[in-house]
Amino acid sequence: MNFSRMIIVARKELTDGFRDRRAIYVVLFSVLFGPIMVAFLLNQIAGQEKAAQDIQIPVVGREFAPVLVNWLEQQSGVELVAGPAEPEAAVRDRKFEFVLVMEKEFAEKFRDSRPAPVQVVSDSTRETSRAKVRRLRALLSHFSSETGALRLIARGISPSVATALKVEDVEVSNSQQRAATVFNMIPMFLILAAFTAGMQIATDSTAGERERGSLEPLLLNPVPRWQLVTGKWLAAVVAAIGGMIATLVVTSVVLSKLSLEDLGIRNQLGTPELLLLIAAIGPMALLAPSMQVYLACFAKSFKEAQSYMSFLIFAAIIPGMASIFHPVANRTWMQPIPFIGQNALAMDILGGKLPSPLILIAAALAAFALAGAFLWLATRSFSSEKIIFGR
Amino acid sequence: MIRATNLQKRFGAVIAVDGVSFTAPDGAVTGLLGPNGAGKTTSLRMIYGLMKPDGGSIDVDGHDAVSDPLAAQARLGVLPDLSGLYPRLTSREHIRYFGNLQGLHGADLEARIEKWIEVLDLKSVADRRVAGFSHGERTKVALARALVHNPQNILLDEPTNGLDVMSTRAMRDVIRRLKTEQRCVVFSSHVMQEVSALCDRIVVIAHGRVAAEGTPDDLLAVTGKTSLEDAFVSLVGLQGEAA
Repeated sequence: MNFSRMIIVARKELTDGFRDRRAIYVVLFSVLFGPIMVAFLLNQIAGQEKAAQDIQIPVVGREFAPVLVNWLEQQSGVELVAGPAEPEAAVRDRKFEFVLVMEKEFAEKFRDSRPAPVQVVSDSTRETSRAKVRRLRALLSHFSSETGALRLIARGISPSVATALKVEDVEVSNSQQRAATVFNMIPMFLILAAFTAGMQIATDSTAGERERGSLEPLLLNPVPRWQLVTGKWLAAVVAAIGGMIATLVVTSVVLSKLSLEDLGIRNQLGTPELLLLIAAIGPMALLAPSMQVYLACFAKSFKEAQSYMSFLIFAAIIPGMASIFHPVANRTWMQPIPFIGQNALAMDILGGKLPSPLILIAAALAAFALAGAFLWLATRSFSSEKIIFGR
Repeated sequence: MIRATNLQKRFGAVIAVDGVSFTAPDGAVTGLLGPNGAGKTTSLRMIYGLMKPDGGSIDVDGHDAVSDPLAAQARLGVLPDLSGLYPRLTSREHIRYFGNLQGLHGADLEARIEKWIEVLDLKSVADRRVAGFSHGERTKVALARALVHNPQNILLDEPTNGLDVMSTRAMRDVIRRLKTEQRCVVFSSHVMQEVSALCDRIVVIAHGRVAAEGTPDDLLAVTGKTSLEDAFVSLVGLQGEAA
């Protein structure tokens, strides 16, 4: 069989596509958006973690508790500032994240070795202040146990008597979980890149062709319809693969610049993982343009086609979204199913679990078969008089 | 040579073409003349293989255009009603793309491209992207890409529609040139002057049927009129009454 006409069509659509500034911007955007978003979110989580270490504590009534004030000021990363006159109102109105209030009877009770009252005024619904409040509580309880120990020693008792438990922190902190969630977005962005990078060519070469009135002259050439359709598809596939690989490369560069270890994530994007990811998600770059070419056939204009495309993208990221929020729901039987499978395989690879080659091949074959079905449908559409002449 | 026999085409309840038959010989210009909506464009679309007739047959140089449209298309050069271009490609790239799709390559193709750029006076815009071209320039590019494979049969659907005087002259020159090269030229029009200036044979189509066929003199003789325009009005009117 002679495939040369198919290549001619693909080459023309690529030339045409790469001269389309708008298409280039879309591809660039789709390539950069995911990695930048991942970097931004991870950075923010790291920033919050760091911000919690260095805190400013607004204090009210410091004159009542000079001992505690002195102790706090000696702790590293702690700065005491003047608190508001009405602490509760100020926190409620979000003027302050939290306030430490020393009560009047502090000095008296402290002197008598009775529990001295302090208040921590905070709003637990505020995500950003949680880490700082936690840090403040830790400081206070540290002061409390240190003072208590000194008092016991003064009375000739070993402080360890008063310590029934020795609690060691091996916590999977909140920020680590959030960082893992962000990391799990990567497969979704790769699939997204497959859809966005080829989209302009897939729609411009079909719906755009109809809109311009250039479809009729094109079909006058003695070229089988399936070669025209696969040629257009091939051009979109080249763009989709390019977009996906670029996203992957930018992502791995961005991740290597971030200190992921501080967030409790091992950066597992080495060269073997990158290649595996391409093998797992790559078939999407063939499937996505076939669906786009088919859908865009029904649109009479580029704009109309774009609205179909946004539905398609929405459908494409649902499995990714679901697995970000329910990472447990990843089962082997899902893996050969197009869309869901690519996402599931990518999650496994990012998690350090290597999928078996058999499942990789099965997933790829299922995606290819579906792509073939869409191309066949698109070829039928290209032969329909309603689509050729309907405007 | 193109021979259409008893072409039929209906769209739902509307009968667009109802038994059109005509022959367009080589070395002659055949005009399909008829009012808007008479079935000219639909007839041409069936001949160039993008519409399947409900009945009838089409023969293009011995190839059956209904059962083997690709073979017919290789022998046809068509300027359809709508000849959209690709705004980001240059004139030369348009002609080259269609040449490639017709199976032409290399030096032979480049020589043909050069020839049509010369003939259609496209030199000054040959390497410019077509976005922003005038209607005349766009039509010339569309014509050049339709003729790059030197087809024996040429179909032009209302080729001079909306063209200015200079472009119309260029189009007429090309049609005459094709005729002297012994090619078969068919063009449709609803403009009387156009048809009378160029055609050796006229096929008058009205209400999906052939109302009359022959040389301009034949048509005058049949209707007993002295001007072609009067002949046309009487033929179209008669057919309307008959239908």
